[in-house]
Amino acid sequence: MAVSFQQIEEKLKTEARRLLESGQVSLVLAWGRGFDEKHPMPYVAKGASDVDGIVFNEFCTHNLARYLVRYPRGTKMAVAVKAADSRAVVQLIQEDKVKRHDLVILGIPVYGIKNPKTGEIIDGKTTCGLYNPVLYDILIAEEVHGQPVSSPYAVLAEYEAMDQDARFAFWKKELDRCIRCYACRKACPMCYCDPCFIDQNKPKWGEKSPETPGNLMYHLTRFHHLAGRCIDCGECSRACPVDIPLYLFHKKVAKECEEMFGQAAGMSIEDKPVLVNFRMEDSDKILE
Amino acid sequence: MSRIGVFVCHCGLNIAKTVRVSELAEFAATLPDVVVAKDYKFMCSTPGQEMIANDIREHRLDRVIVTACSPLMHEQTFRKVLAASGLNQYLLTIVNIREQVSWVTHNIDEGTSKAKALLNGAVNRSRLLMPLTSRVIDVNPDVMVVGAGIAGIQASLELANTGRKVYLVEKNSTIGGHMAQFDKTFPTLDCSACILTPKMDSVLQHKNIQLLTSCEVSEVKGFVGNFDITIRQKARYVDHDKCNACLACTEKCPGKSVSEWDEGLAKRKAIYIPFPQAVPQKPVIDREACTFFKKGKCRLCEKVCEQKAIDFEQQDTFSTVKVGAVIVATGYDLMDTRDLIQYGYGKYPGVYNALEVERLFNSAGPTGGKVILRDGKEPQAIAILHCIGSRDKNSYEHCSRVCCMYSLKFAHLFKEKTSADVYHFYIDIRAAGKGYEEFYNRIIEEDVKFIRGKGARVAKSADEPDRLMVEAEDTITGKFIRLPVDMVVLSPAMIPRSNAKDIARLFNLSTDKQGFFMERHPKLAPLSTMSEGVFIAGVCQSPKDIPDTVAQANGAAAEALTIVVKDKMELEATTVMVNPASCCACQNCVRVCPYGAPFFKEDKGVSEINEALCKGCGLCASVCPTGAIIARHFTNDQVLAEMEGLMEF
Ligand SMILES: Cc1cc2nc3c(=O)[nH]c(=O)nc-3n(C[C@H](O)[C@H](O)[C@H](O)COP(=O)(O)OP(=O)(O)OC[C@H]3O[C@@H](n4cnc5c(N)ncnc54)[C@H](O)[C@@H]3O)c2cc1C
Ligand code: SF4
Ligand code: SF4
Ligand code: SF4
Ligand code: SF4
Ligand code: SF4
Repeated sequence: MAVSFQQIEEKLKTEARRLLESGQVSLVLAWGRGFDEKHPMPYVAKGASDVDGIVFNEFCTHNLARYLVRYPRGTKMAVAVKAADSRAVVQLIQEDKVKRHDLVILGIPVYGIKNPKTGEIIDGKTTCGLYNPVLYDILIAEEVHGQPVSSPYAVLAEYEAMDQDARFAFWKKELDRCIRCYACRKACPMCYCDPCFIDQNKPKWGEKSPETPGNLMYHLTRFHHLAGRCIDCGECSRACPVDIPLYLFHKKVAKECEEMFGQAAGMSIEDKPVLVNFRMEDSDKILE
Repeated sequence: MSRIGVFVCHCGLNIAKTVRVSELAEFAATLPDVVVAKDYKFMCSTPGQEMIANDIREHRLDRVIVTACSPLMHEQTFRKVLAASGLNQYLLTIVNIREQVSWVTHNIDEGTSKAKALLNGAVNRSRLLMPLTSRVIDVNPDVMVVGAGIAGIQASLELANTGRKVYLVEKNSTIGGHMAQFDKTFPTLDCSACILTPKMDSVLQHKNIQLLTSCEVSEVKGFVGNFDITIRQKARYVDHDKCNACLACTEKCPGKSVSEWDEGLAKRKAIYIPFPQAVPQKPVIDREACTFFKKGKCRLCEKVCEQKAIDFEQQDTFSTVKVGAVIVATGYDLMDTRDLIQYGYGKYPGVYNALEVERLFNSAGPTGGKVILRDGKEPQAIAILHCIGSRDKNSYEHCSRVCCMYSLKFAHLFKEKTSADVYHFYIDIRAAGKGYEEFYNRIIEEDVKFIRGKGARVAKSADEPDRLMVEAEDTITGKFIRLPVDMVVLSPAMIPRSNAKDIARLFNLSTDKQGFFMERHPKLAPLSTMSEGVFIAGVCQSPKDIPDTVAQANGAAAEALTIVVKDKMELEATTVMVNPASCCACQNCVRVCPYGAPFFKEDKGVSEINEALCKGCGLCASVCPTGAIIARHFTNDQVLAEMEGLMEF
């Protein structure tokens, strides 16, 4: 890698300081120190004095677009994003949750981010497999080229070989392990609903105890709510304490959606959210 | 605790044949809160309605369930019964056990069991229903008519004569539609222009009609009583307010194109009026053919125009019109017979389609009314092939209804204008209108030859290279026929306009298998559509002749009038609202609503609904991730209760 994590951290700090001092933004979303080197945390710098707390290393997996929707509409914010994270920003702009002109996007091209639990480099298996942000105002490092690129859907081959019954059995088994901590939902930039359907009591859409019926209800509905919106950052799966491969389902839905409507989530702010947008030329395959 | 009455209809044998109706009523009586359950032959009849009314009083019912046909048929009927008995009309539930049960199975066990499941769900939902109040809105008194063929012209005149303001929108530069292309009309053979042009002129003169030619509908908002329709005025490059119709420009213009009006058989200028009696009689410039637009030089028309009416800078303009009701009368196209290569249309110059032949007969047509072929000769033998593309599983299954009759008309006119032998190749002759069979008999006597067998192929004659050969099987003699002729006339299928899909989308109309606009009910509401306040007339609904088209146009005018004659109307109470506490501001509702009812309130950070626009379709409720949308009459609780009832069965 041409640029080191250290250099990225320095550049992030410089830009953050400049943006905060000039008053261009009122906060910068980045990463900060966690309880150890391996566990950095999302970090909000609200003034120049906070900037020194910013950290960037190989374990900065978090998708900070998650935190954009926490602040009142109209707040001027800078957000540090890796490739997939930038797609989340694009998707949020499409959904009008944030306005483009309220954001300064600090794009970080980077290869070599690792899953802190396994130490493996994160690639197209659990994320969208891009290494360069799709939208940014300031590029924090040179674009990454020449690294292994794989289709984000290649990992589905094994899963797609299963028949319907086997797939259901697979998911039932996986989802039965869910302890309903909702870390997946909390990590997801697209799960911004307050209240989430599953927390409601009238009507009660699903059981809240971690057992099969409620687990299926929660996850199948969540998968459905993320159809055409999940930008494949993989954070839900990394957040999961019991390692449920949620990314598989999300990728499968994303693939179907892309094949059917020719649009992947969060790639362009010109696009409209695909499942709530009607175009005359849309495929009718969904009706078959 | 509710007091529910269940009324099971037999619909004669329609339902009773595949649902054990008395068993269904007995089953209903066992369900909690059901205090009375009865079955009856025809629930919608007066005795049926009286029975319900009596039971409401006698058993002090507070909810009524009728298991019968589709609510589209009789929801209003039964709602009135409730209202007359002092119950809020929204406390009625209809369970459709006809279209959704008895008509989709032959098995009485299956039918009965599905009916029970539906009823079980309905009882669950019925308990949770709330009384609702209909909204009352102002009605715009004006009407829009889209398409100015004979259907649109007739409907506009009828409405305008009652004092209503009519906006008549026509995409072409003249009104008249297909009828204006004809010479004579069957069965009376009166001259088409003689009966049509006075009407076209009345349209132009009528103080209540605003004629919008070279216009198309580009957007429709609103709903019955209050449509907001955006019209695109296509650039004509001639200012019609200044033009005094001297037509000096059309003489000087060097630009040339084929005349659509003459079905491509003649040429016209780039600045032109389609035909001498066109209304309005003011020219337009065809950008594609205009020398100035193509080469940047010319402007001859501008030079000769004393009125300074030519305006090369003109752009399309958009304007919005408010109306209370709409009549769609966009007519038809003929099928493109080039796709049926066996008939050689487009390949052999001697093969014509029916509209081209109409132009040959027309004294204002390309040949001045003489029947002369493309090679300049008069035909000695003519074959008219019926049912080309119609009644044909490979193309269009429907019968185009008028082809037999106009083919007979053609035979008569050929006999009148030429000395040719005329042959009909037909499957059977359909002459079911008033005076039609008589007309057929008259043509038989005119020495026209009828060969019962559909034309199978048209080929070049092997012996006489400039003649054609028609091949067919004569189904009466069983013999295979090869007939040498000079001219072949194809009677192609009448099909929906190529842009019918766009119109359907704009006005929310359904289309049938062939693509014609669907009526609300084939027998009882033939001019209404599923889109309230939008009516259809003429061939855009199905193939028909001029008398039927005119009758429909008059009917549609009357239907539109029933809406705009009132200054207020009641709207369904079944609209939606947003619970702001649950709205996550995703704006899905704003994006999916086909009527533009939801809008996002930036200051509050939640979506709200403009209830005047909401039709209660429920789309928004289905895409709202947090269930923040409350659809009145279909609340989440009500729908879930119904589903539970269905599934526990
Ligand atoms: C060859 C032939 C001969 C016939 N001869 C006879 C006969 O002798 N006697 C008889 O009774 N019937 C005859 N008919 C049937 C007759 O043509 C129809 O019954 C009649 O023309 C139907 O009128 P209409 O107004 O519904 O449609 P059309 O005549 O098709 O008029 C529709 C109008 O709507 C306009 N339009 C279309 N789309 C739009 C849009 N999106 N926006 C705005 N305007 C639009 C069109 O430009 C057109 O002006 C014949 C038919 C054919 C094919
Ligand atoms: S569902 Fe998972 S992978 Fe998709 S955007 Fe949300 S956190 Fe990322
Ligand atoms: S699961 Fe659905 S309702 Fe819940 S937060 Fe995610 S998108 Fe919103
Ligand atoms: S993070 Fe894992 S355990 Fe927690 S709710 Fe999501 S899937 Fe279940
Ligand atoms: S769809 Fe539901 S949550 Fe989304 S904006 Fe509309 S009401 Fe709010
Ligand atoms: S129910 Fe919802 S989608 Fe349907 S018309 Fe009303 S607001 Fe629009």
